[in-house]
Amino acid sequence: MDIALRKKELVKEFSPMMLKPGKWSKIWIAILLALILGGLVAFVVQVTQGQEVTGMRDNVVWGIYTINFIFFLCLSYSGAFASGVLHFFNTPWKNAVSRIVEIITVVSLIVGPIFIILCMARLDRLHYLFIYPRIQSPITWDVIAITTDLIGCLLYLYLTFIPDFAILRDNSEGLPKWRKKLYTSLAIGYRDTPSQRRRLHKITKIMSAMVIALAIITYSVLAWIFSLTLQPGWNSTIFAPYFIVAGLYSGVGVIIIAMYLIRKYFKLDHYIRKAHFLSAGVILLITALLYGYFTFSEYFARWFSHKTHDANLLDTLFNDYFWMFILANYIGILVPIAIVFFKKLRTIKTITFAAVIAVVGLWFNRYLIVVPTQETPYLPIQDTRPEFVHYSATWVEWALSFAGVAAFVLFFMLLMRLVPIIPMSGIIDYEKKGKARRKGLTQQQQP
Amino acid sequence: MKFNLFTYIAYILLFGLFLAPNVMAQEMNLRDYRMRFRFKTVKQPDQSRMLEASFIAANKKDRKDRLPVYGAEISFFNILEEEKVALGTTKTSKEGIARILLPKDQSYLRDEEGKVTLKAVFEGTDEMDMEEREITVKDVQLSVELSEKDSVQTVQVNAHTLDSLGVAIPLEEADVIISVQGMLSRMVMDEGTLEDGMYEYKMPIDLPGDMDGNMTVFATIEDHEDYGDVVQKKTVKWEVTNISNQENKNHLWSEVAPIWMYVVLTILLAGIWANFAYTISNLFKIKKEGQKLEQSL
Repeated sequence: MDIALRKKELVKEFSPMMLKPGKWSKIWIAILLALILGGLVAFVVQVTQGQEVTGMRDNVVWGIYTINFIFFLCLSYSGAFASGVLHFFNTPWKNAVSRIVEIITVVSLIVGPIFIILCMARLDRLHYLFIYPRIQSPITWDVIAITTDLIGCLLYLYLTFIPDFAILRDNSEGLPKWRKKLYTSLAIGYRDTPSQRRRLHKITKIMSAMVIALAIITYSVLAWIFSLTLQPGWNSTIFAPYFIVAGLYSGVGVIIIAMYLIRKYFKLDHYIRKAHFLSAGVILLITALLYGYFTFSEYFARWFSHKTHDANLLDTLFNDYFWMFILANYIGILVPIAIVFFKKLRTIKTITFAAVIAVVGLWFNRYLIVVPTQETPYLPIQDTRPEFVHYSATWVEWALSFAGVAAFVLFFMLLMRLVPIIPMSGIIDYEKKGKARRKGLTQQQQP
Repeated sequence: MKFNLFTYIAYILLFGLFLAPNVMAQEMNLRDYRMRFRFKTVKQPDQSRMLEASFIAANKKDRKDRLPVYGAEISFFNILEEEKVALGTTKTSKEGIARILLPKDQSYLRDEEGKVTLKAVFEGTDEMDMEEREITVKDVQLSVELSEKDSVQTVQVNAHTLDSLGVAIPLEEADVIISVQGMLSRMVMDEGTLEDGMYEYKMPIDLPGDMDGNMTVFATIEDHEDYGDVVQKKTVKWEVTNISNQENKNHLWSEVAPIWMYVVLTILLAGIWANFAYTISNLFKIKKEGQKLEQSL
């Protein structure tokens, strides 16, 4: 195999999706920018008028900002976990999804923490977190963990990009000058020599193990912010593993959705095949079963112990939030299980549909964890206005939430314009290995 | 003139609107309620005697509907046959309770057995009937002894009456309640019956006292047909541990985190950042090798 020629072919194949934004792409970017602009307006309103413009009050001090924060962090965590596992165990089908997963990891880790900053009423005191940290506070652990995780993930993402940057640098005919310069500097002189390859492989493997550990630590710390309090519904010993399983579940869901959209939009059917969806579907099934088991265990223990405040919380969940509870904890779990469990139902579209249900269900599950607990506190505030006790998000919060989602998609699209969504170096490695295997087989057959 | 007449009629109607519904309601309410007039006497620990009358209107149909009669004038008397001595007059509170406190050296009219008859009287109004209650009690000397024998904290209650010659006669078959003072109310520890004028109770050793370790123990005879209510108390420093004043050992609420937390966090972060540093140093080596290759080309 002529590797140089193959590299050229791959660059030629992926160049259109990196260089020429199509009509739909432009429309999409315009919509996303409009949503982000709407979010900026809402942000200005919130900063100038204060948290009063949100639905957060004395009882419910964590609203959909916190839910979005958890949601995006769980995407990041599951992305890091999946990416780490794919690289660490050198999974055969990693080429199809690894780049998608890596981009999801980093982008969600950038977007997620913005939501927690929006939750703060006194942004001018944000730096106090670093100047006067309380080491014994889970909030401080969270700040340290997220910062470390972000740096680790960025570093890891960069490592996986280097071989592709080098390919793009060496085959940059027809590319704009700034791109050539960018690829040259980002490739840091990588020439794919045996020693460079060995070194890069070694540090990528170390970092892949590191991001798995970091993701588990970060998401556990996030779960501890809730579970280390004595609040009904939060004070639970299984919250950290429950969050991790829930994170994996929704993360796998988002990866499947991203795979479907990228496959369809960029016509990458020969790279992202049905087999990849089936494998991802099986992982979705396993995580759905685990997540369902944890959810049942969590609520069953609360119901059986029948402590007054837990009983009040369950009462609120089954009355005030009945449909949301059904959607999050029944439909959000059982429907994906039913779809992926039966072989006949497993198609690309149905698996993607199951993933959408899982992601929507998970978002509502986060809502049910965060809000109803705050609406049923230990010391009820008496003679107060109902809107102070019951939370409902305002337009400002929704505008900023949609802006966050838009920013996530926009960053994703921009990163896809920087490097191919399917790692070219991975394809070449795969083809080289396949050829070597075939050669080996031929030699064995010869007497 | 015509205008004035209409104005007056309007005023009367308006006044009637404000007044009439209330008057009607009051009349109707009174017919629906039954008056409950109760009277009791409590001999206090300092030997004074409290006279207490409670005046409550209870709905005949709805048991839960109970309205205290506020501001009713209650007179208290000590009577012996035809003789009647006024002890005092007071009005019922918002809770429908009228109380007076008689000093410990108050002299009473007593019958041959030494019994005192006390009476509470509500004279009545145009709407409400007269109410009166009478009770006869014999003076009881109740004492509480707190002692620690062989590390066992013991409460001994003694009760006797005095005959006309001043000889102590121990009480028989009277129920006594042992309780301790809590923050909001008394906590009942034991209920028993006096035998030969005495009752003994072994206190548990794990009861918290107040800030100084003091505990106030009460002995009470309640609603006895011969003696009424009698209360006695005593405070003792039994040095029991006051749980609420124990130092909170939750280190996470302290100003400084526990050392193990610093150690674990430092090891974790050092381990992670060492890996980052190692990765970055390898990236520099890759870069260096790339630069050498470029120069050689």
